[in-house]
Amino acid sequence: MQAGGSRELEARNYLEKHRIMELVNYLTSTLLFFRPEKPREYLISILERLRIAKVTGVAFPFFMDHSNIVSMFEMMDTSHKGTISFVQYREGLKTLGLLDEDEVLQDDGHVITLEKFRSEVKHSEFPNQTQESIINMHSTLIFKKNLFAVFDYLQ
Amino acid sequence: MDATTAPHHIPPEMPQYGETYHVFELMQNMLEQLLIHQPKDPIPFMIKHLQQDNDNVPKIVILGPPASGKTTIVSLWMKKTESFGFLMTQDVVGRSISSRAFKVFYHHEVSEKLSSALLVSLIQERLKEEDCVRRGWILDGIPETREQALMIQTLGITPRHVIVLSAPDTVLIERNLGKRIDPQTREIYHTTFDWPSESEIQNRLIVPGDISEMETARKLLEYHRNIIRILPAYLKILKVINADQPCVDVFYQALTYVQTSHRSNAPFTPRVLLCGPVGSGKSLQAALLAQKYSLVNVHCGQLLKEAVADESKFGELIKPYFQKEMAVPDSIIMKVLSHRLSQQDSIQKGWVLHGFPRDVDQAHMLNSLGFQPNRVFFLNVPLDSVIERLTLRRIDPVTGERYHLMYKPPPTVEIQARLLQNPRDAEEQVRLKTELFYRSCSELEGLYAHAIALNADQDPYTVFEHIESGIVNPLPKKVP
Repeated sequence: MQAGGSRELEARNYLEKHRIMELVNYLTSTLLFFRPEKPREYLISILERLRIAKVTGVAFPFFMDHSNIVSMFEMMDTSHKGTISFVQYREGLKTLGLLDEDEVLQDDGHVITLEKFRSEVKHSEFPNQTQESIINMHSTLIFKKNLFAVFDYLQ
Repeated sequence: MDATTAPHHIPPEMPQYGETYHVFELMQNMLEQLLIHQPKDPIPFMIKHLQQDNDNVPKIVILGPPASGKTTIVSLWMKKTESFGFLMTQDVVGRSISSRAFKVFYHHEVSEKLSSALLVSLIQERLKEEDCVRRGWILDGIPETREQALMIQTLGITPRHVIVLSAPDTVLIERNLGKRIDPQTREIYHTTFDWPSESEIQNRLIVPGDISEMETARKLLEYHRNIIRILPAYLKILKVINADQPCVDVFYQALTYVQTSHRSNAPFTPRVLLCGPVGSGKSLQAALLAQKYSLVNVHCGQLLKEAVADESKFGELIKPYFQKEMAVPDSIIMKVLSHRLSQQDSIQKGWVLHGFPRDVDQAHMLNSLGFQPNRVFFLNVPLDSVIERLTLRRIDPVTGERYHLMYKPPPTVEIQARLLQNPRDAEEQVRLKTELFYRSCSELEGLYAHAIALNADQDPYTVFEHIESGIVNPLPKKVP
């Protein structure tokens, strides 16, 4: 038998490179959320849209737009202080896919207000994101709130 | 983020949808294909895969020693499924190899002359063709060696069912001596078991060159050497069928096996409904199930009594009916039931319902509330057993211990003297209730098309095992 190790490694690399797990998570979540009568056709239509979006570089229509930045901020600011800590801010940017794992943000000692958060998000490459990171954002944010258990489906 | 840590209320429609449309299996298949082929462009690949929609086509491998009747089984299959008009008719992978324009083969004689690599690549090509993709395929006698099995696996050709025919060597050697081939149609006949009826075919038949005892023995030796190393590759999808039986029996066993789907890893919360006449053991089975699988045991009558005892608002409504000994109206029952079934623990853990519905209207109401059971069991017991079980129940008023005059008799005569019988267990009452059940039974069976009927006239643990296997295995596909 071929070394199970190398094939498995190849497969894992493939999954990561194309962000397949996030995509599949997203497809399952949206399928269970909308519950169409014809699941295959529905999935095909989403994939077609994704494909076109990827080719033309247009942002894939997604659930979250700039108005949700406020709600996201409010979710993080649980005690209604009007500010979030630096750590929360960093995590929030990561969730939105705006921050790479390796990037380091400078903590300038001030807490982050809503205005600062909003402007940061808007100024970064929000509209030009690649499809993969948008998918990542969906699957982690919106669906995590309501459909947490869906992830367990595929684990 | 705190919002995600609160107990999430998943609407029950979601797991129900997932089960009806087999979402998990769908995604699993897609992921498998992606990982096997690892296309550079995953999205167009996924679109194509979804459009093919061939997750459920038959993909069968039949293995067996020479003369076990593999080819006969395959040809029976072809005839049978055509006559049944199955949506997915199998396409047997043909017979001779020549150039690529031709249907592939698998016949043992011919394949010996080919190297494994060539064989496997020809198979791969054939299986990619439209009709195989759409209708499924059977491979007869391939893979022959472990090498071939591995090659097939790495190419991503995985059968969903593997049938291995087995028979004692002596039987096979004898059988092989009677083998005859029709040179024109290349059909295989047998002097004893499968003699063609038309005389012109009879006249045409020739004796194939390699059926002498020595030859067969040699081939058998090689077969045994190889098969032992192929089997581990397919352990989970394997079934061994005894080929030393009439051909038709072998065929039917194979057919039933192929029609069953294997257990998948899909998440599944059991929502079980137990139906049966009084005394069939529903409460006992429900209690056993609840204990073993941590399901919520919902006994309708019990629920109502609990409501009265708790003096909840439902209890107030129900009490007058209890006092007058009238049946509680359906609407109140539905309210209490839906309240119980929509609680977090029953949604998360699943439930076992028994004592309800008693007739079709109640069943419809249950459905309309959104509490569809995903496994329904009908426990069948003959009336005499029911009477025996129920009318011999006794209770000791002093200790509260329950006895049964046949199954659990009281130890001393003194206790026996003071035993009392519950008036509900009197014979007329039992007969009345059973009749009531049987009246609505057939309609209920019609409503729950996927119900499983069990013989409940056995000891409780046997019945429990049957119920368990019904819950744990995927529902059998009904033959159209």
